[in-house]
Amino acid sequence: MTNEKPLALRMTGITKSFGGTKANDGIDLAVRHGEILGLLGENGAGKSTLMNILYGLIQPDGGTIEVDGVELRMTSSSVALSHGIGMVHQHFMLIPAFTVIENIALGAEPSQHGVVDRAEARRAVVELSERFGLKVDPNALVSDLGVAARQRVEILRALYRGAKTLVLDEPTAVLSPQETDHLFAVLREMASAGMSLILISHKLNELIALTHRVTIIRDGKVVGTVETADTSPQELATLMVGRETSLVLDVVDHKRTAEPLLKVRGLTIDDPKLGVVDFDVYGGEIVGIAGVDGSGQSELLEAIVGLRRATSGTVSIAGRDVTKSSSRTRLELGLGYVPEDRTTEGLVGALSVRENSILRRQRRKSWRRWGLLAPSIILAHARALIATNDVRPPNPDLPVQALSGGNQQKLLIGRELADNPDIVIVSQPTRGVDIAASRDIQRRMLDARNDNRAVLIASLDLDEIKALSDRVLVLFRGEIVGEVARADATDETLGLLMTGEKA
Amino acid sequence: MNAKLSAIRSAALAPALALVVSLIIGAIIMLISGVNPLTAYESLLRGSFGSASALGKTLSNATPLILTGIAVAFAFRGGLFNIGGDGQFAAGAVTAAWLGVSLNLPGLLGPITVLVAAALAGATVGALAGVLKARFRAHEVVVTIMLNFIVVNIAMWLLMHPLDGFTQVPGSAQIRPENALAPLGFGLPGVHLGLVVAIVAAIAATIFLWRTPNGLELRVTGISVKAAKYSGVNGTVAAMIALGGGGAFAGLAGAGEVLGTYGNMTVPFVTNLGFLGIGVALLGRNHPLGCIVGGIVLGALSAGGQRMQFDLGISAHLAEILVAVVLIFITMETAFTRRRKVRASPSPLNSIEASNDR
Repeated sequence: MTNEKPLALRMTGITKSFGGTKANDGIDLAVRHGEILGLLGENGAGKSTLMNILYGLIQPDGGTIEVDGVELRMTSSSVALSHGIGMVHQHFMLIPAFTVIENIALGAEPSQHGVVDRAEARRAVVELSERFGLKVDPNALVSDLGVAARQRVEILRALYRGAKTLVLDEPTAVLSPQETDHLFAVLREMASAGMSLILISHKLNELIALTHRVTIIRDGKVVGTVETADTSPQELATLMVGRETSLVLDVVDHKRTAEPLLKVRGLTIDDPKLGVVDFDVYGGEIVGIAGVDGSGQSELLEAIVGLRRATSGTVSIAGRDVTKSSSRTRLELGLGYVPEDRTTEGLVGALSVRENSILRRQRRKSWRRWGLLAPSIILAHARALIATNDVRPPNPDLPVQALSGGNQQKLLIGRELADNPDIVIVSQPTRGVDIAASRDIQRRMLDARNDNRAVLIASLDLDEIKALSDRVLVLFRGEIVGEVARADATDETLGLLMTGEKA
Repeated sequence: MNAKLSAIRSAALAPALALVVSLIIGAIIMLISGVNPLTAYESLLRGSFGSASALGKTLSNATPLILTGIAVAFAFRGGLFNIGGDGQFAAGAVTAAWLGVSLNLPGLLGPITVLVAAALAGATVGALAGVLKARFRAHEVVVTIMLNFIVVNIAMWLLMHPLDGFTQVPGSAQIRPENALAPLGFGLPGVHLGLVVAIVAAIAATIFLWRTPNGLELRVTGISVKAAKYSGVNGTVAAMIALGGGGAFAGLAGAGEVLGTYGNMTVPFVTNLGFLGIGVALLGRNHPLGCIVGGIVLGALSAGGQRMQFDLGISAHLAEILVAVVLIFITMETAFTRRRKVRASPSPLNSIEASNDR
């Protein structure tokens, strides 16, 4: 049993404040050798701060870190690395123009008389990759690799540098179900070889499936550490949020309209990421677009919205051909669009809620008086958006970047729905959004659907796709390789389609 | 309103602290060179604000600086770094020299027409850089610097050939008196209507940036090109407005010098006002109204510096060193705002990297 194994890592009383807020408030956390520990918490609960402290990127105000019983000061990431702490970030830190070997050996090159010993590096990498089943071509350029393979390179890089305790930040966020299964097999292999793993995740089922114990933090404090065998997703959710939270979304059957509101016919763009695409979205239905990262979802949505020019084919909104129309025209014809990138595309982080509330429709005459933008009219609009969408804090003069991800998303979706568009297109509806806000956002989309609007979503989160979509279209290398009805949308089916193993 | 006041206060804090620190450093330099800094600064203050003629010198120095400052600040709000102030200034000045001599219109129509034409000339030079940036990804810093050489030398050629006034100092003929920007009076020598033009320009730029959809689009572009595209902004048009608009202000500065200060354009003509505009914009935190303050500060340092030289025999270069030290401290944005997370406005010097991404 893992319980009898000695502690590999112990963090005690970790405290860190930013300005007036305590990001970490006396956090205790411990991992044994050979153990997989889950670290669960909402966005902003303090997980990243804690892990950055462990990795030497942030200095704590108080508390101690012990590795194998020895107290250490993690003054930089190289100190952390030298004591066997490795980290796989959510956003990979690889150099695309370099090969796998070069990326792995970068900064830790074995040298002979000052010359990098490539043969030695390759030998070590191949050995590690075989030992843990991390299959990857050492000579491939990273830019040619898929997401799952890049992640394997990140893990190999940490192992190559001697990591014994590995932190993985949301490692499954970009993977298909089968890729997730494979990753979990690798992680179990690493644990049984005696390594310690810390898995940061908000996917409750994954934590249950993989970990031995889960530590839950909320508002910078540990609210509990539970044995995985004795817990349930519901209990984890309640601990994380601090109150009973419904994990299931009530979806009532709804009849779609007779005619499609959005028609896409033979659409291609000047980008090989997207093939030839045909589909319809009817009023009163939610269509989900599933696919692994990079399979063309963003490109498809941008082409429909008018941010990318079609090279052939057509897009029509409520029977009207808009293929040649600008994105602004499409907006005015009833096409709401929430892009995946909240703070640098859908909203402008540095600008106030007030200015963001008219973005994309800034040219409308209705905001103006005497030809100039009228602050009072815009303020009233911003206040209305804040009220109807429960944006907190309700201050229209705050820069958007001061809001949490969930509140940003509520503002953004609220703004795009405020025009009562016929069609709503939402990319990554709840990525990086806490559970409560996620539920609000998902309900808004269901309301839009029950209001007979056409809703099109793209998400890398299969659970979300399954929960919301009446139909799922699966994209693989830019082509729609399958359409699955709500009842048939299982991880198995979708996963095989997503990775092109079944067409 | 209270929120606005405190925003202004926090935006002004860093430049003010930078000014104080550089005056201290200046004092140290003076001590080393055996000058009493208190006497020197007293002389600096007297030379810049101590009398009507000192104030006049400060304000007439400030007039073109305010405008070349806005030329930088305006473009920077759109995410572009306008180093082309000198060329745009020369384009405006040579246009003013040509029309100021040849145009014969009744009343204020004369100077107004000349000013508009000069602004258009500056705008054309700026917009050219904008087009090259947006269409061909030519970096605006390189392009605007190169355009400086081209435009300034074309202006010099024009002055020595078609516009030659056959005066003792090579350059254009004197402009017609009715096209001149009249002295402002109030017993302030050297101050002319150009100062009013500069202040009106600052207000106009502020209204454009914060009260028009185009201005919002420009600022969105300056912060995130992606968000601008999402908002339906045409990148080429945005770049042309940013650099063309900036160029218009620099062109006005050139016209003001010809129509108000010198009465003609000589070979060579005043230079460096475009570059000093970068400093003005830094001091003014890239706000057109802030540029009024920035222009006056630099104008005062230059006027007072001359007085220091006159009174104490301190080299006028010391004043220039002071200006340079002030600007270096202002660029060190985190030195005075360490604990603040949200910056009032970003510095243009960080934008070179950002603007490379488009």
